[in-house]
Amino acid sequence: MSIIRSSLAAVALAFALPATAQDVIRIGAPLPITGPLSPEAIKQQRGYDLWAETANKAGGVRVGNRRMRVEIVYVDYQSNTPRAVQAAERLITQDKVNFLFSPFGSGAAKAASTVSEKYQVPTIAATASSAQVYDQGYKFLFGTFTPNDTLTEPLADIVKSKAPGVQRVAVLARNDLFPLAIAQEMEKSAKARGMRVVYSEKYAIGTLDHASALTQIKAQAPHWIFATGYTNDLVLMRKQMADLKIEAPLVTMVAAPAYQEFIDSAGKGAENITSAAWWHPAVRYKGTDIFGTTEAYVQAFKAKYKADPDYAEASASAAGAVLQMAIEQAGTIDRQKVRDTLANLNVTTFWGVVKFGPTGQITSLEPPVFQIQGSKPVVIHPPQVKQGELRLGVQ
Amino acid sequence: MLYLQVLLNGLVLGGLFACIAAGFSLVWGVLNVINILHGSFIVLGAYAAWYAYGILGIHPFLSIILVAPLFFALGYAIQSLLLNRVIAAPVLLTLTLTFGLDLMLSNAMLAAFKADFRKLVLDPPLGLLSVGNIVLPVDRLAAMALALLLTLLLYLVLSRSRTGRAIVAVRMDREAASLMGVNVSRTYAITFGIGALMAGVAGPLIAMIFPISPLTGPVYLGKAFVVCVLGGLGSVPGAMVGGLVLGVVESFAALWFGPEHAITVSFALLIAMLVFRPTGLIGRKGYE
Repeated sequence: MSIIRSSLAAVALAFALPATAQDVIRIGAPLPITGPLSPEAIKQQRGYDLWAETANKAGGVRVGNRRMRVEIVYVDYQSNTPRAVQAAERLITQDKVNFLFSPFGSGAAKAASTVSEKYQVPTIAATASSAQVYDQGYKFLFGTFTPNDTLTEPLADIVKSKAPGVQRVAVLARNDLFPLAIAQEMEKSAKARGMRVVYSEKYAIGTLDHASALTQIKAQAPHWIFATGYTNDLVLMRKQMADLKIEAPLVTMVAAPAYQEFIDSAGKGAENITSAAWWHPAVRYKGTDIFGTTEAYVQAFKAKYKADPDYAEASASAAGAVLQMAIEQAGTIDRQKVRDTLANLNVTTFWGVVKFGPTGQITSLEPPVFQIQGSKPVVIHPPQVKQGELRLGVQ
Repeated sequence: MLYLQVLLNGLVLGGLFACIAAGFSLVWGVLNVINILHGSFIVLGAYAAWYAYGILGIHPFLSIILVAPLFFALGYAIQSLLLNRVIAAPVLLTLTLTFGLDLMLSNAMLAAFKADFRKLVLDPPLGLLSVGNIVLPVDRLAAMALALLLTLLLYLVLSRSRTGRAIVAVRMDREAASLMGVNVSRTYAITFGIGALMAGVAGPLIAMIFPISPLTGPVYLGKAFVVCVLGGLGSVPGAMVGGLVLGVVESFAALWFGPEHAITVSFALLIAMLVFRPTGLIGRKGYE
């Protein structure tokens, strides 16, 4: 009883006297908790919360001889980028956070990075992939996503080496920020390897029928069909490909096949579909971070949320785990020292190898390429974590 | 060959559109109620078929027969218990009421079925019908045939049966019909019941073709709007023609202007129709 009472007292004290909260590391996280981007904010929150909970359960972050608890301070910027910038500034100046996690996506992360640079607050972006976010010469911004072309380049390499007969590529992209950007990278990667792009079109958001586009694709007899969109688009498209009897040695879809619901909904049609993402629960890394191995991370996530983590959720957890490693290595929460440690970090985590390049964007991560084989995603690249070989033929 | 394939793609797509729109058109035409619930009824019908197939192994074509009376009863109840109370009020009020009911229904579905996309995957699949290089999926063909059949049936009911004539009479002049001894509120309830039934039976057909999720209702509702304006409001053959025209137009627009402009072209056509021929392609005045 006295233990409970004293711990209650400690909690009460912690709330009552924020000024003495020297034993707490506060990290600001401006997120689009309301508005159109709210599903993404939920993913980010799930990732951050899991890290904070895990770190605190282990007694907190080791800073020199002390242990410090982690507290994440969320601010809703209502899916409005200018507000994200204000939120970041407020978190630093009023809430006195020690560190910052970037707002969602490349655009908002870039906008807010100006604020963290001004106040010299180490900031980790968990969902910003565009290289343009990191090209401003800023010293305090770090990102856990590699550029978009790191998804398409290994894919094109594998195809080139395993299926040299693949020459004709058809690209059909959802007219939306990421699906379009990744489709453009795919075209570049294919052309760079001497393949010919025989069809390239985009479809509107909310399209209920892909028959015309697919009929045209069929007429071009491509060896490789590269389609982008979200789960509903790609499930429908896969069904219509079967309806029109379109067969090709290779069909790649981004970004749905990473999700179980795609595999369930596409049924046998999911077989041999290839895809790529920054991370996948099937990769296997032995990390030295708080989560340890990838398996252990997936287990912890499942225990808390009853679902498999996806790359956005894992990236948020990785942002926290990496920050923790940098603080522990630096042995202080001094912003400049933590920043310097982050810049020189070279560690393995459940997320993969983490080493930030001169711009602050991660350079060490090898995004996995995977293929649905026997109704399960099987990693076929990179070699050190691969579980199977590329199979050709999608019927 | 390419054109023929695209034309056929468009026609079978149009059959689905007709199926989606028929009940909506009837309710709008007869009751002057813009039934925002229509899209969610379709989704609910799709879930009914998905569960029936997944748990009980009932083929979607069979579940059509099962869901039809349920949806008729649901529609009848909604009209007689709720809508009939405000039916004489301006159209905005009934629209708001169905909008509110739709919010409740779609959120209830979200809670019950979760937001995951699902798809009814037939095992074995219905397969394909191919003649030379032309390929048509049997499920879409069957959906189109069924849509035609249901539309024909509805047309016969409206033109031949006593209840059907009462529906048409109420539509033409509510007071006069009432003076002739037609029970107006019962006729309204039957009409809304038929509208809900048509939406409900479209569900199993949709479930075989499109991914299902609780919040896709508005997509189907949007298509129903366009089909009604194209074909002529309240006219059942109009919904058929409007659906087929929309399917073919979207298919060729995607071919000629690129898939991103298929919807642009169909909505441009909608605006043109509203300006130049507001009664629709078929509906002169739209009475059967």
